[in-house]
Amino acid sequence: MEILELKNVSKRFGTLEVINDLSFSVPEHSVFGFIGKNGAGKTTTMKMILGFLAADQGEIRVLGEKVSYGNTKTNRHIGYLPDVPEFYGYMSPREYLRLCGEVSGLNKDRIVDRTNELLPLVGLDGVNRRIRSFSRGMKQRLGIAQALLGEPKLLICDEPTSALDPVGRKEILDILSLAKARTTIIFSTHILSDVERICDSIGMLHQGKLVVQGSVTEIKNSYSTDVIRLEVGAECQTDQISKELKQMNFISRIVINENKIDIQMTNAEQYGMNILAYFVEKKIPVLKYELLEPSLENVFLEVVG
Amino acid sequence: MRGFYAFIKKEFLEQIRTFRLWILLAVAVLFGMMSPLMAKLMPEILSSMNMEGMVIQIPEPTVYDAYTQFFKNFTQMGTLVILLIFGGTLSGELSKGTLINLLAKGLPRRTVLLSKYVAAVIIWTVAYALAFVTNYGYTVYLFPETDVKNLFFSLFCLWIFVCFVISLIMLSSTIAPGSFGGLILSAGALVVMLMVSIIPKAEKFNPITLASVNVALLEGTKSVSGLTLTVSITILLILGSLIASILIFEKKKL
Ligand SMILES: Nc1ncnc2c1ncn2[C@@H]1O[C@H](COP(=O)(O)OP(=O)(O)OP(=O)(O)O)[C@@H](O)[C@H]1O
Ligand SMILES: [Mg+2]
Repeated sequence: MEILELKNVSKRFGTLEVINDLSFSVPEHSVFGFIGKNGAGKTTTMKMILGFLAADQGEIRVLGEKVSYGNTKTNRHIGYLPDVPEFYGYMSPREYLRLCGEVSGLNKDRIVDRTNELLPLVGLDGVNRRIRSFSRGMKQRLGIAQALLGEPKLLICDEPTSALDPVGRKEILDILSLAKARTTIIFSTHILSDVERICDSIGMLHQGKLVVQGSVTEIKNSYSTDVIRLEVGAECQTDQISKELKQMNFISRIVINENKIDIQMTNAEQYGMNILAYFVEKKIPVLKYELLEPSLENVFLEVVG
Repeated sequence: MRGFYAFIKKEFLEQIRTFRLWILLAVAVLFGMMSPLMAKLMPEILSSMNMEGMVIQIPEPTVYDAYTQFFKNFTQMGTLVILLIFGGTLSGELSKGTLINLLAKGLPRRTVLLSKYVAAVIIWTVAYALAFVTNYGYTVYLFPETDVKNLFFSLFCLWIFVCFVISLIMLSSTIAPGSFGGLILSAGALVVMLMVSIIPKAEKFNPITLASVNVALLEGTKSVSGLTLTVSITILLILGSLIASILIFEKKKL
């Protein structure tokens, strides 16, 4: 069954068109990575799913039920982690989770059980201070705990890893992978390695539409062009090299980073020779020649950049 | 219904932990105590001042002076304190975003609004009762004659007026943006009502009348039956404000 379904959704703020005829769906027990650069409209889309913002056009369904703008019944199926979660500073994490549990209609024992499960999981076990004194990362962790508390059918996380240190990021991603068995997750991010780690399918949002959509491996194989990375001597004129390389018609893109030159092309095995030949002919010292793994980052840069 | 209780509990906890409840109760006791004391002591203070041979004739203070002080304190300072304490209850949460997590769990918005209203009315009622009991104790102790007319109806008028002010705060908070939107708009509405109250013909229809006739009721110069229309209108306005605020809040962009 489709847990979440968007059909031809559009949204504009004044004259700014943020979402333009967006359609996608997320099947049960999958993790959907929602990717897009700053201001692409990820948060806006999530708020429309929660009824916090009105869609100008189109229809959104959660578990087959239509989302209505404003107070919407569909939210009882949802757990939401906002991009910057806000709490009642005068409560302790336990008190906050109890409030959340009561609001979700869990009974007393269940709330205690879930709290005892979740607090250690997010690394807040034994933290009895008031939330007021929490760091941003701690709030993010508590945010994940509150989102998971009611065992929602659909978990919406808006950049869940953005405030976390590398260890914390891994922990949270592990939690989300575990949660996948019992729920369906949609999460937004611009950290593409996170996406590769846990997502089943992804959608890249660009100019209001999903420009790329599908499973991670599928996308990497069909979109990504090969990239050759060359490291040249420090005194080389990389600008000049780049200009001359661009003359070759099989090269689609060149990115220069100090003395590293990333060359994007259609078929590296076949055309790699031509590039090396160029360097030999010009007598440019090549320190390193490397064929990069296809990555989502390259797809992202290619379609969005 | 569970969401309602859970949220009311949260409201009380908030009032306690942010010290607002204690401030309100302290103010209530202070008003209750001060009103009869001031009424009793004012003439003595005045006469103790040496006015260079001038003789001021001050009538012996009565229980009416005590109640006049009590109602004056409560309608002016009391309303102000209520506005300050509850003015941000919804606006603050909306501008900070603390409701988002809970609304995203399916907590109905009307539950939020009604439990906030009920919690505020309960707290106001407790503070008011405390003030009155204190006031009554001092009055009985300080004044020989304590019989007044329509005491409970007079108290009820002020009580329902403040309940109306709280409903006005709810409505204003759903309309005006910003963390002080609710406070400013409802204060503005009260000022308008105060200005309208100068027109004698409008008196019957203006809730603010309920906060100005209290002593006249005690003295018997105003009758209960003369105020039923005003009370009914005020109750209708409370219901109207609550319904309107729910309707607006349910379709509010967050
Ligand atoms: N309430 C609003 N009024 C007007 N414009 C808005 C509003 N909310 C968002 N926008 C605009 O809509 C666009 C999309 O914003 P949104 O927050 O959805 O982006 P995002 O993809 O979540 O970005 P980020 O990665 O930075 O979180 C931005 O250009 C933003 O300025
Ligand atoms: Mg965002």
